[in-house]
Amino acid sequence: MADEDELIPFDLMKKKKKKKKTGFDLDAALNEDGAADGSPSQATENKAEETPASADLEDLSLDMDFGGLKKKKKKKKAFDMEEVGDALPQEDGSNQTAGEGGDFGMDDEFSLDLGKKKKKKKSRNTEDFDEEIDRDEEDTGADQPDGSNNKAWSSSDRDYTYDELLLRVFDIMREKNPEMIAGDKKRFVMRPPQVLRVGTRKTSFANFADICRLLHRQPKHVLAFLLAELGTSGSVDGNNQLLIRGKYTQKQIENVLRRYIKEYVTCHTCRSRDTILQKDTRLFFLQCETCGSRCSVASIKTGFQAVTGKRAAIRAKTA
Amino acid sequence: MTAELGNLKGYDPFADTEDNDGSGAGIQGGLIHIRIQQRNGRKTLTTVQGIHPKFDLKKLARVCKKKFNCNGTVVEHPEYGEVIQLQGDKREAMNSFLSEVGIASSDLIKVHGF
Repeated sequence: MADEDELIPFDLMKKKKKKKKTGFDLDAALNEDGAADGSPSQATENKAEETPASADLEDLSLDMDFGGLKKKKKKKKAFDMEEVGDALPQEDGSNQTAGEGGDFGMDDEFSLDLGKKKKKKKSRNTEDFDEEIDRDEEDTGADQPDGSNNKAWSSSDRDYTYDELLLRVFDIMREKNPEMIAGDKKRFVMRPPQVLRVGTRKTSFANFADICRLLHRQPKHVLAFLLAELGTSGSVDGNNQLLIRGKYTQKQIENVLRRYIKEYVTCHTCRSRDTILQKDTRLFFLQCETCGSRCSVASIKTGFQAVTGKRAAIRAKTA
Repeated sequence: MTAELGNLKGYDPFADTEDNDGSGAGIQGGLIHIRIQQRNGRKTLTTVQGIHPKFDLKKLARVCKKKFNCNGTVVEHPEYGEVIQLQGDKREAMNSFLSEVGIASSDLIKVHGF
């Protein structure tokens, strides 16, 4: 968690602040709550995690649907607990202290944040409609089978309903591996690539080595992918920055990196990014550490390259 | 039982590859790659590789040139077969054009580049 604080989500600079902040208040809230009680802390975490997720709905792919999944699971759990109500005032207090301790410039954002949380807890009408729908479904699903019905069918002879069985299976899943739920909802945050222009024709990707380390991938592999996608040449220089021929903006590099992550970092089955890339008999395999799945990934191919330079120079070189 | 087993023999796994052998209709699974290359200044070049050779690429290029308001050509490559080159960033246009005309479904088209 502490590590993630440092990391900036992989979006535009503007968003950075917001997210950093929510991350911060989450942590603080967690720490204080965790000290107070075990179960409410989970609840607060759920809520807090949700706000960043809803904040950048337009933010793409990698974690979006993932987030949705988590949300659902989380939601159910949250409603199971009666302590939520008890935890509420205390949690608000802690949030405020966190905000004041943290940074002063963001008061408005922060209050907005708080408001969201309160709403969710008390009236549960948020501005997000799909989220609300999600929750409503959960409500109907979770409220009635919970407690009363769960035991109801175990004593009586009647058939189980689908909802009950579904709930049962999720309950068991949660019981059996709590760490799955806990680890699951971590957002995939990335440092943005630092892209600078070097001269007029070259672009430098300054924190290339950092990003490779973050992704747990060989710089060589990332490099090959970047160059193949961009259709240029480039190299890693002395201080581990990548020099690419051609003009590229940060946004463009980001897009390519995102595609790299989607293809070669996140597990294709469970979308965890806790994966290892192995080479096995000329093929690359992506081995997931979380779910244990193993699948082959496409090899990097440059494909057709048109002649863009001076033909005379090429001819002179070959002849 | 034996009759059922006999059915297996009748199937030729290479039957549907047709004229795909050696003509280089794209290296993997008939995927069409649309790439972009930077030229000097802010000029770019779009290359479309892997269109099945049963289509007349010259004619396709002619239509594309007219439709996208750009120039272009078809080049022959020993490994990748015929490749359409278009001037400028026509990736999106090409992508929609290919699926519209029905040359390839959109999941068989791969757009590369930034």
